[in-house]
Amino acid sequence: MRTLLVWLAGGLALVGSSQVALARGWNMPVGVTDLSGEIYSLHMIIFWICVVIGVVVFGVMFYSLFRYRHSQGAKAANFHENTTVEIIWTTVPLLILVGMAVPATATLQKIYDPSDAELDVMITGQQWRWRYEYLGEDVAFNSNLATPRAQIRGEEERGEHYLLEVDEPLVLPINRKVRFLFTSDDVLHAWWVPELAVKQDTVPGFVTENWVQINEPGIYRGQCAELCGVDHGFMPVVVHAVEEDEFDAWLVERQEMAAEEAMGVDRDWEMDELMERGEGVYGSICASCHQPEGQGAPPAFPALAGNEELIAGIEWHKDVVINGVSGTAMPAFRTTLNPVELAAVITYTRNAWGNDTGDAVQPAEIAERLAQ
Amino acid sequence: MWGVIKSVLAAFLGVQRDQQRREDFERGSPLAFIVTGIVMGVLLVAIIALVAFLAAG
Repeated sequence: MRTLLVWLAGGLALVGSSQVALARGWNMPVGVTDLSGEIYSLHMIIFWICVVIGVVVFGVMFYSLFRYRHSQGAKAANFHENTTVEIIWTTVPLLILVGMAVPATATLQKIYDPSDAELDVMITGQQWRWRYEYLGEDVAFNSNLATPRAQIRGEEERGEHYLLEVDEPLVLPINRKVRFLFTSDDVLHAWWVPELAVKQDTVPGFVTENWVQINEPGIYRGQCAELCGVDHGFMPVVVHAVEEDEFDAWLVERQEMAAEEAMGVDRDWEMDELMERGEGVYGSICASCHQPEGQGAPPAFPALAGNEELIAGIEWHKDVVINGVSGTAMPAFRTTLNPVELAAVITYTRNAWGNDTGDAVQPAEIAERLAQ
Repeated sequence: MWGVIKSVLAAFLGVQRDQQRREDFERGSPLAFIVTGIVMGVLLVAIIALVAFLAAG
């Protein structure tokens, strides 16, 4: 009776401690999708199997060490083999492994079934941001780190969501199955949001799939989980899960914005407009390498301020921004940025920080070049 | 033949009786064990593939 009570108390203490671990964020989260809950349960089942095995194995070991100790006159048994025991200790782990594989495989099958999705989102990893494209909806944008550089350099107090905040979050509807298609423009990245139980490598040249169906509206944060270069820690993921009607309204608004942006390609832009727009694009896209004042970080990232090659060669400059420079860290921006953004940022870099070339590059000209 | 199959099954599990091992080594040629091993290896893969196929529905 007493032994039973001790075991019961021990068991309760263990279950209690696992609840504390969950509440403190030491454990993996239960998450906000049916699948994330299933993955959590799987994790806990296997965890408790490991606990039981650990207790039994170490219990037998320590009991034997104590009970048959040398000082009490214990003698070692000398025998070569015991086939029965060997078969038992081989088949028992085999059965445990098969027992764990059955529920794990059932969950894996669900994870790998992105069929019947109501919305497709292409997620592209880039050094160092995420690009989201709502396929067939004419909505696409880049999601950049929004934490001010001053906080990173330690000149300002760190905010609540330090390095986990972006300028444009991925907006998703709840209660709808959303399929993700992952790829990368440069190196391996991994799109990871613990609350959604999605952690997927993005591989250049390949498209991989995953999906979510979120149950709770909210803001879910994650990070790149595959070391991808110097700013690996500076490309967080933020997902805004919203009610379905709110999402539909948001999507329409973004479509209207995209349509307006497309109209902007045809008209002539004033120098001031281009400079203003270009400064914003430069800050979110270019400044992490070429630095906020265009001073660069040679030798990897050349200076733009006072760059003779850039000032002298407007066509070369356009080509570098649009097509990148192979063999260097400079990526092609032909798909990341639209013609207006490309024209604006080229104009900005040709006229900021004393690069007073006076060149205003028009979006129409860039659009024509992209179409070639 | 049954002895060979039993020995190959024991090798799959990684546990063998010492007495049986001695008997196996008295046979002289390892050919029977190699052929049986390959056949049963293929059979094992086929069974696992079948189970996976049935489970995937």
